[in-house]
Amino acid sequence: MAEGFNTARSSSLLVDKHVEYIKSLDKRQDELEYWMTEHLRVSGIYWGLVALKLLDRDSALDKQQVIDYILSCQNTDGGFGGHHGHDSHLLYTMSAVQVLAMYGALDRVDGSRVVDYVAGLQDAETGEICGDEWGERDTRFAFIAVAILSFFDALPRLDSDRIVEYVKLSMNYDGGFGSGPGGESHAAQVYTCLACLAILGRLDVVDRERLSAWLAERQLPSGGFNGRPQKLEDVCYSWWVLSSLRILGRVHWADCSRVCDFVLSAQDPDTGGIADRPGNVPDVYHTCFGIAGLSLAGFEGFPLKDVDPVYCMPVECIERIGLQSWINNVPRSWSQEKLEDV
Amino acid sequence: MMHGRRRVAAKEPTQDEKDEARQQLERYCALNSRVMGLKAQNVFTTDALDATRQLLELNTELHTVWNYRRTIMKKLDAWEDTEKRQSMLEQELGFLMKVIRNNIKSYWMWNHRMWALSQLPQPTWRGELSLVDKLIGMDARNYHAWDYRRFVIARLKDTEDGDAVDEQEFAFTTAQINRDCANHSAWHNRSKLLPAILARADQPRREKVLQTENELIQNAIYTDPEDQNAWLYYDWLLDIQQSDEDRIKLLRGKIAAIRELLELEEDGTRPLIELVSRFAELGRLQPGSVSDAEKEECMKTLCTLKGVDSYHAGRYTDISSALSKRWKVHDLCV
Repeated sequence: MAEGFNTARSSSLLVDKHVEYIKSLDKRQDELEYWMTEHLRVSGIYWGLVALKLLDRDSALDKQQVIDYILSCQNTDGGFGGHHGHDSHLLYTMSAVQVLAMYGALDRVDGSRVVDYVAGLQDAETGEICGDEWGERDTRFAFIAVAILSFFDALPRLDSDRIVEYVKLSMNYDGGFGSGPGGESHAAQVYTCLACLAILGRLDVVDRERLSAWLAERQLPSGGFNGRPQKLEDVCYSWWVLSSLRILGRVHWADCSRVCDFVLSAQDPDTGGIADRPGNVPDVYHTCFGIAGLSLAGFEGFPLKDVDPVYCMPVECIERIGLQSWINNVPRSWSQEKLEDV
Repeated sequence: MMHGRRRVAAKEPTQDEKDEARQQLERYCALNSRVMGLKAQNVFTTDALDATRQLLELNTELHTVWNYRRTIMKKLDAWEDTEKRQSMLEQELGFLMKVIRNNIKSYWMWNHRMWALSQLPQPTWRGELSLVDKLIGMDARNYHAWDYRRFVIARLKDTEDGDAVDEQEFAFTTAQINRDCANHSAWHNRSKLLPAILARADQPRREKVLQTENELIQNAIYTDPEDQNAWLYYDWLLDIQQSDEDRIKLLRGKIAAIRELLELEEDGTRPLIELVSRFAELGRLQPGSVSDAEKEECMKTLCTLKGVDSYHAGRYTDISSALSKRWKVHDLCV
């Protein structure tokens, strides 16, 4: 290991450091990375804001400035680009809507235009959801479309039955889900499919036992999770796997204290922020999903806000908007078991 | 998002390094502004197309620029001429090969490749398949490469004998598994091909295929009894049996195989939980077929597992509780 490198592994959550790190992201204009990631700035703000909200430190960002910026990224088609001048895509539309929702500012946007944009991306023939006008299909987009429309109380604008059929076709022998019919199971795709089914109240199509076992075994001896068998662990799977287990009511099938240790070990004690793995360069994406993972794992070292496993936003924001909690949407046969775990 | 970039010690860069970094940043920003400016002004020329190429070589993640590039291509005069379009899109595929080397995980880049192929007057699906063969040869688990493979195969089936293509793909997964029986991407693809192959087979062939499948998966399990995926595939073979009678037969065979494995290897936790799960399954399929002694063995095993494999204690406790209720036996895990 090179000299002058802080190798101390922290057993505590470096809250102030992470807040400073997230605040610094907008001031790094002398770094190439700042410009190379410009096209996904709207998502960057979403990741930063979730982390800050869960830490109860969202005053670190200028709310009005953020809302104005997000609104300025809406295009004439009703969707949002990742930055000024960038084309609309569901990925950035989702982030934009989530940021506005977390700030209680959904009324600042013309919801009917957003809804028209999203509803227009469903393929009338197959029921699949496209990411944008160019037609890329992915189970991620099915979740996003359903989630966005739920914010605007407009779910009937989509053919939900077709979406459920499409998600079912993407299910595999291990109980997991891929990026589409035929695609290999991947923990992040599993999360999007479960979250989509949870919002639609159709978790009954899931093979709960098989999938829970598959997810639990994503945990490696380091405490971290991988996304597929025999792959390396990565902090973001602390979110993708634990949120999935939470939706299935099976967080206790993972060893939560070891997850926490793994996430904490990937913090950068110098700059703040969390990396994909210990010793790597941090970024706001892993900072968000690391902290959200800690919240789901019931981390006791800091009073983190509860995170909603379906929307990846603080539970209090979901309640304020009046969205139904996923818990009300689980099949009756599951409710006898302890869903209120952690 | 960054993956796998190591932190390095904070070392003050030399003046030359600083200058180089600044120039690089300025070049990128200038090019980016130029492309976004051209796009804003609706410029659809070969010069604009070239500018997008330069920018995408530096950054594969600019989906707006990929979109702009497609729009330009469709508006060029050459697009209307079949031969010229063929040549333009073949060049595009060559350009994408260069980009793949920068970032094989770029969703946008793969999308663009699919688009280019779909617009080619004479697409070269066999050529695409050899490209994927190469990529999988370099990284046998690459998620994008396998996804793209399925896309290519689906198109190939439109132009060639679909059943024959399926058989070739099935043989491809066999070869991948023989090379590494823990290649889950290959097992996964196999699970998507097997049902169609069985559906087409007559009874003798069906039996033969299933027997081979059994041998292949048992070999994987014997090679690494801790490989969860192999067990899940073994489970799935039960799902696709035609009758409960066949399922029970296969389950009995599994239980025997696990017993044999346990005699060879006493430490493994996986075969133990698999044994319990098989008895649970057998009890569901054929009530009364699990003896009291076997039930007792299962409950004791769960209790042992909870002690030696505390990592998965939550799961063992849940299974033990469910079985004690179903079998009306004492829950030893409490």
